[in-house]
Amino acid sequence: MTKYLVLLAGREGEWEAATDEQRAGWHRDHLEFGRVVGDDILGGEALAGTDTATTVRRRGGKAELTDGPFAETAEQIGGFYLVQAPDLDQVLAWCELLPEIYTLEVRPCIEVDLSA
Amino acid sequence: MRHRTTPDDDLLRLALLAAHPSLSPQAGAALTLRLVLGVQTADIARLFLVSEATMAARLTRARKKVVAAGVPLAIPGDDVLADRLDTVAKVAYLAFTAGYAPGSGPDVVRAELAGEAIRLVRLLRSNNPAAQGNPSLIALEALMLLQHSRRDARVDGSGRIVLLPDQDRTRWHRAEIDEGMTLLQSLTGGGAARLSSVLAADYLLQALIAAEHARPARPQDTDWVVISDFYRQLDHLTGSPVVRLNRAVAVAEAGDVPAAFALLDGLEDSLGRSHRLPAVRAELLRRTGRDEEALASYRLALGMCGSDAERAALQRRIDDLG
Repeated sequence: MTKYLVLLAGREGEWEAATDEQRAGWHRDHLEFGRVVGDDILGGEALAGTDTATTVRRRGGKAELTDGPFAETAEQIGGFYLVQAPDLDQVLAWCELLPEIYTLEVRPCIEVDLSA
Repeated sequence: MRHRTTPDDDLLRLALLAAHPSLSPQAGAALTLRLVLGVQTADIARLFLVSEATMAARLTRARKKVVAAGVPLAIPGDDVLADRLDTVAKVAYLAFTAGYAPGSGPDVVRAELAGEAIRLVRLLRSNNPAAQGNPSLIALEALMLLQHSRRDARVDGSGRIVLLPDQDRTRWHRAEIDEGMTLLQSLTGGGAARLSSVLAADYLLQALIAAEHARPARPQDTDWVVISDFYRQLDHLTGSPVVRLNRAVAVAEAGDVPAAFALLDGLEDSLGRSHRLPAVRAELLRRTGRDEEALASYRLALGMCGSDAERAALQRRIDDLG
């Protein structure tokens, strides 16, 4: 089994601007994703907007903070799932269940041995 | 434990892995040639007009992505498989067209590599029922056979490219044309409803056009009315400006020059840097007797054209008018 991070990106404010009916539909999609993937979901959260983000860059031992996300792009990460799956095709099949408004980025995790 | 795996399924598994949609089509095409057909890296580099080192790096990157991302060596369920076979078809056609891409001049090895793409589709179709009946792969095999059948007539004795109307048709491979035609009949016999995807319809229309060009013994017997109707369908299907331009040529050949002019409207935005747009416009102007404007347009095209064979053809037109 490989762990995969599924990043959910979208246009900020799209969820808020949607109708109650659309939001209800997207909620149902997430519930269905949760039902199907089940225990293979290792974690997942919805994130507050990028206007609440703080970017930290450290240069020469000094933390430099900026208000906002690390990259200003049209689409921003609004949430994530961490899942485990035997292969990429399984994750891609699960992704079909998520709301269409997202652009999804699927990234495999690598095992890091911190004891070495 | 059941042993249902056959060597034939292994080939499909490997093709589905190498042409996985998580890879770029270029990387997928290179990986497919290397892994599935065993083409040497140097030859693949030659095909895609890059150095061997660049191609080796591209293949390494693709292999790494496949392993790290966990692309499976598996045949997906039927609903996904049709889509994946479309990706395999796209990758095979990319490899095929790279063999015939202008820019490097005529090259027998590159035509042989284009033949490898045909071999891939044949192998997949002959060994797996799902691939055998897949409309995209059937239409693609027909399309490639019909185009490839002209390989020996595309180059003259001194190595120059010969354009379609000027080719010696006795040098076309008739058996391949017949085979392509038979494949097309198997698709069109049951009506267009059997097509599974836009890609299948795209390849089918391109193959039908290639078949119309292959049919007559003399170029002047070409049925341009039929060809322009196929182009009309292809234009509506793809919305491609290159298809629109080819459609204009076909419509003019069919005799309706005003309609051909109208089809060129708005192509400057997308084809403004291609010599083919002024070349086609010049041809239409010449046919309507507007020689001065035609000459100016031919000269514009000549200044933009990088292919020697086409430059020579344009220069002949200019000499005729001047």
